[in-house]
Amino acid sequence: MSSELALLNNYLIVGAMLFGIGMIGFLSRRNMIVMFLSLEIMLQGVSLSLVAWGRFHNDFGGQTLTLLIVAVAACEAALALALVLTLFARRDRLDITDWQLLRESNQPPYYDEPQPAAPPVRRDQPLPRLPVAGVRPETSPDETDYRPEI
Amino acid sequence: MTIETLLILIPALPLVGALLSAALGPRVLRRQSHWPVVVAVVASFLASVVLAFQVQRDVEKLPTDSQGFERVVTLWRWADLRMPPSDASLQPDHSPSGEGTSFRVDVVLRADPLSAVMLTIVTCISALVAVYSVGYMHGDRGYWRFFAYFGLFVFSMTMLVAASNLVVMFVFWELVGLCSYLLIGFWYEKPAAAASGMKAFLVNRVGDAGFLLAMFLIWTFFGTFHLHSTWSDGTLVQRGVIDQAMTSLGAAKTLGSHSAPIAAICCLLMWAACGKSAQFPLHVWLPDAMEGPTPVSALIHAATMVTAGVYLVARCLPLFAACRVTDLVALVGGGTALLAAVIALTQNDLKRILAYSTISHLGYMFLALGTGTLAGLTAAMFHLATHAFFKALLFLGAGSVMHATGGVTDIRRLGGLRRRLPVTYLTFLIGCLAIAGVWPLSGFFSKDAILQVVLNRSASGEDAELYRTLFATAMFGVLLIDFYMFRPFFLVFHGAEKLPPEADGRVQESPGVMTVPLMILAFGSVAIGAYFEWTAGLARFLAAMPLPSRWRELHAGELAASVQTVPLGRISAAVTLVGIALAAAVFLGRRSKAAGLARLMNVFGLYSLSYGKFFIDPIYQWLIVRPVRGVAWLAALLDRWAIDELVDVVGWTPKWLGAALRPIQNGLTPFYALAMMVGVLVLIVMLLM
Repeated sequence: MSSELALLNNYLIVGAMLFGIGMIGFLSRRNMIVMFLSLEIMLQGVSLSLVAWGRFHNDFGGQTLTLLIVAVAACEAALALALVLTLFARRDRLDITDWQLLRESNQPPYYDEPQPAAPPVRRDQPLPRLPVAGVRPETSPDETDYRPEI
Repeated sequence: MTIETLLILIPALPLVGALLSAALGPRVLRRQSHWPVVVAVVASFLASVVLAFQVQRDVEKLPTDSQGFERVVTLWRWADLRMPPSDASLQPDHSPSGEGTSFRVDVVLRADPLSAVMLTIVTCISALVAVYSVGYMHGDRGYWRFFAYFGLFVFSMTMLVAASNLVVMFVFWELVGLCSYLLIGFWYEKPAAAASGMKAFLVNRVGDAGFLLAMFLIWTFFGTFHLHSTWSDGTLVQRGVIDQAMTSLGAAKTLGSHSAPIAAICCLLMWAACGKSAQFPLHVWLPDAMEGPTPVSALIHAATMVTAGVYLVARCLPLFAACRVTDLVALVGGGTALLAAVIALTQNDLKRILAYSTISHLGYMFLALGTGTLAGLTAAMFHLATHAFFKALLFLGAGSVMHATGGVTDIRRLGGLRRRLPVTYLTFLIGCLAIAGVWPLSGFFSKDAILQVVLNRSASGEDAELYRTLFATAMFGVLLIDFYMFRPFFLVFHGAEKLPPEADGRVQESPGVMTVPLMILAFGSVAIGAYFEWTAGLARFLAAMPLPSRWRELHAGELAASVQTVPLGRISAAVTLVGIALAAAVFLGRRSKAAGLARLMNVFGLYSLSYGKFFIDPIYQWLIVRPVRGVAWLAALLDRWAIDELVDVVGWTPKWLGAALRPIQNGLTPFYALAMMVGVLVLIVMLLM
């Protein structure tokens, strides 16, 4: 019995380590592909602990769930990589901080290094105006009484 | 037609006319917008005449010991609120058993001699002024608007007169005030007209507050709003305010605690009447109301609406007499009569002179009512009728002058118009003679009736001294009438011809649609007084009013035996003639005499006092308007800088909170992930603990 428990402990420790490594990777890296890999590692950590518990309880539920996770993870990987590819195609960079558009509108964007100042807007050039066109609409003389501005 | 049908038709017709004018005027009728209202008001007048004759016929068939003639028609039940019987504190003190628990307001119209007389006067003057307005307002931009307001006013005024119930009366009391406001401010582009309308409305509101308070007291003490008792098939359904008050005062024998609330009610009603009828403390709005079109001044501010106060006091006169508030009424009336007459002496605006003369004559009516007798009531109503005719005539004459001269009312800028405006000249002369009281024009008889009742009252009874003083005041006022009426008359129509530049040199007589009403009114001013005096019709007619029997017995003998100790008629006629002669001497010759008289009077500051209208407007300005404005300024300051800020703080709090939390929405995915991890960790730690 105690060996079973020791085995479970070992599995769980490995699973937790995988999860922790994945989490640290996810939080500390900005490369989208590496972040995605870290995410997969976290998922595997969880899957491993599920399998361990399933064996400990003599129940196939854990392994079934793990198979499901593998299937879902495959789909998710396809989707996520497609997204990463699209984002990469837009900026030619994989840095996640290039995509901050969901911040509050009045919050300053985060940059690693100071950006060059924007060129000043020239105000001396007036905007083009359209010439007055058309005929003056007809107004009844009664209307001018109570709407003197027309 | 039955009395009931007529009673409904009289107010309903002008209302329909007003609605038609308002609906069809701007697009369909345009320059013909007067037709619905003129036809409706004339029809209403005819209905009133028929009503008056039917009432008179029924009055003559009355048995001698009857309570008086009245006929009521209930239109609909307006309010019926039942109070829970357990709530004893809300129940009136003196209510008959079981009656006081429900607050019931019926819209009831009544026909009795007083309302029949009043309806006839109101609709008669309205019809004539409506016809006159067709000429006077011709070509005005708001032609249909004028006639819509006009019809609404006639409807409100006839309802006010016919209402049997104080609540309904109050509604129409307010509605005539509204019509007055709308018509004074008819030319609202003129700042003076808009301000005058507002002033009239506000001053009237001050008076109306008295009416409201009086109604509260009446409900508290009598549990009904009907002035007269309600009868059904010879059985008493509900006892009216006057009956209840007379009973409770009669039971008390002496004037004590029972009379105090009734006296308070009467004082408040008098305050309301002062507001509507422009008596002393609240008279300031009427001269300014002359900014409105002249037909409006003639109808509303001379003949009809301003007499509503007189009518109200006349209706409640037994109450006033029972608790001796009549002294107050007489004092206010006599004082105002003199005050306004003195002011009228020196004004230079023709319409303002007429306005002060109206205030003065309304004062005479209140003075007559102040005697608290049936004869006094008759004299007041008599003067009300004759005054309606000659004052409407004078105003319409002034309007005719304005029509001819392009709206100039300053008598110093006019002169010698008698050759150019012969009809206006003659009718204005008749009006002046009638108001001055030259025998046998109507003013002579009605003024004489008032002087007679005041003299009778001063012969005996309580406060005889007061009435003696008031009689002397009234007699002096008669002399002043000649002066202030003939001064503008001589200046405008006699002397060297002076035409203002506004007239453009084209001063000519007004069209027939304006002169014919003038002639009819002139005929009325000549004839109506003599008719009523020599047939004694009005006195007998009004004696059949439903009045408490106790009061009726008290004054039954007075009508027949008016104490003729002095030949009053001759004295007042002589005073009148002397006054006219003096006025002619001063104003007909060289102008220097008038200026000299003014200088002489100014030795004691009398001239400036009169010219400055006794400085009542500035006094009100400093005592009431400025302090109120100061308080309003303070309140505005408090509102803007304290209350507004507090409210804003409530709105700003979420804003500030949001601003404080906003930096965490920075759009950086790693940051979100970290926040989520930390959150999960915190949750786990909390779960494990």
